[in-house]
Amino acid sequence: MANYIIETRALHKRFGKKVAIQSLNLKIAQGGIHAVIGANGAGKSTLFRILLGLDAPTSGESFILGHNSQSLEPEHRGRIGYVNEEHTLPTWMKVHEVTAMQKNLYKNWRQDLYDSVIGNFNVEQSQKVSALSRGERAGLNLAMALAQAPEVLILDEPTLGLDVVAKQAFLEALMFTQADIDTTIVYCSHQMEEIERVAEQLIVIENGEMKYNECPEKFCDMVTYWIFDEALSESQLSTLGNVLSARIIDEQTHLVLADLEAAEALEKLNALGIEAATQVPVSLDKAIASILAKNHRVPQ
Amino acid sequence: MTKTTALAIQIVTGDARPIFRQIVDGIRKEIASGTLPTGSKLPSVRGLAMQLTINANTVAKAYNELTDLGLVESKKGLGLFVTQQQCTLSEEERTQKLEQATDDFINEIISLGFSHREIIEHVQGQLQTINKQDKER
Repeated sequence: MANYIIETRALHKRFGKKVAIQSLNLKIAQGGIHAVIGANGAGKSTLFRILLGLDAPTSGESFILGHNSQSLEPEHRGRIGYVNEEHTLPTWMKVHEVTAMQKNLYKNWRQDLYDSVIGNFNVEQSQKVSALSRGERAGLNLAMALAQAPEVLILDEPTLGLDVVAKQAFLEALMFTQADIDTTIVYCSHQMEEIERVAEQLIVIENGEMKYNECPEKFCDMVTYWIFDEALSESQLSTLGNVLSARIIDEQTHLVLADLEAAEALEKLNALGIEAATQVPVSLDKAIASILAKNHRVPQ
Repeated sequence: MTKTTALAIQIVTGDARPIFRQIVDGIRKEIASGTLPTGSKLPSVRGLAMQLTINANTVAKAYNELTDLGLVESKKGLGLFVTQQQCTLSEEERTQKLEQATDDFINEIISLGFSHREIIEHVQGQLQTINKQDKER
């Protein structure tokens, strides 16, 4: 178990009638940057809150740094960093006061990291937190989170609402400090361009269940797009396994399949009598969108 | 200390090729075209990651692949260098390129009304000129 920085076992969470997370068995290995991807309401933020012990699961267990999330000691919390999407900080304090407070709380505080990260943002130490822009608050939040040199850092949509410059500064600071302090980063975002640049491992969650936990290349290989002339019946489609979408465009069938590599998919298509299927390349954002779109399909 | 050769490669997101593959292909092309001659020093992993704003581990993965392909070699403590190139294209790639060029050529000339014989003789003549020039050199 010590090999995994985060582990959940049969994790369930219900809010009233609504199921937020169901039978989630997630294992996140140490090191690198892991992106959690899912549609709005897929259960990402709930998962983070449970991992951090801010919320209790309905059933099942979760572990972070090998300790049960529900019984974390202050000593464990000191090794876990968390940045939320709102970048909530005490608005009435001045920047240097917030920083001094954090410095006292974390014994491994790395002032050099704080300085180098905050240097990317236009933040004055004497400014009041309430006077900072969203991007500046994000920068301050990240600088403080990284300066704690946490063993694991969880970020919940950290670049939401940042302009291009702030976002670039944020991502650079995140990526290049990660390598320096060898922390494991788990973060979620809806911005595919950013995920493609940053993430080494993709964790796809849909309706509270984990669908994939793969590196980007492998993940892309598992989604294939085909165009051919024949029309397929429902029963024929069912032989193809996980059909993400099947549309007729200009009298041709456009088919997106998951969980089959190209050669296997082609074999199955041939078995249905389709000899001349054209394979269309699929980019990462298209692959993810196809997977997330499956359950949002419009009724035929 | 050898200076790093500037690497003019671009990566795009939203492409069907993952970023790691784009880096490998980009550097292979630079080597094949001679922009990166034998002995050139590649940027450091962190340097290229910063240049392209991507995860350093992705660059490391691409560099590993280039090393496995024998296109570059690492010299301990000095960095990564372009090796002496044999033929950098695989047999498959060479055939593919030839086919592509032939297709383009045929598309250009098919409507000009020359007979096959005339076309073949012309191409043969051109190839012989190249051969002669090579010998004179």
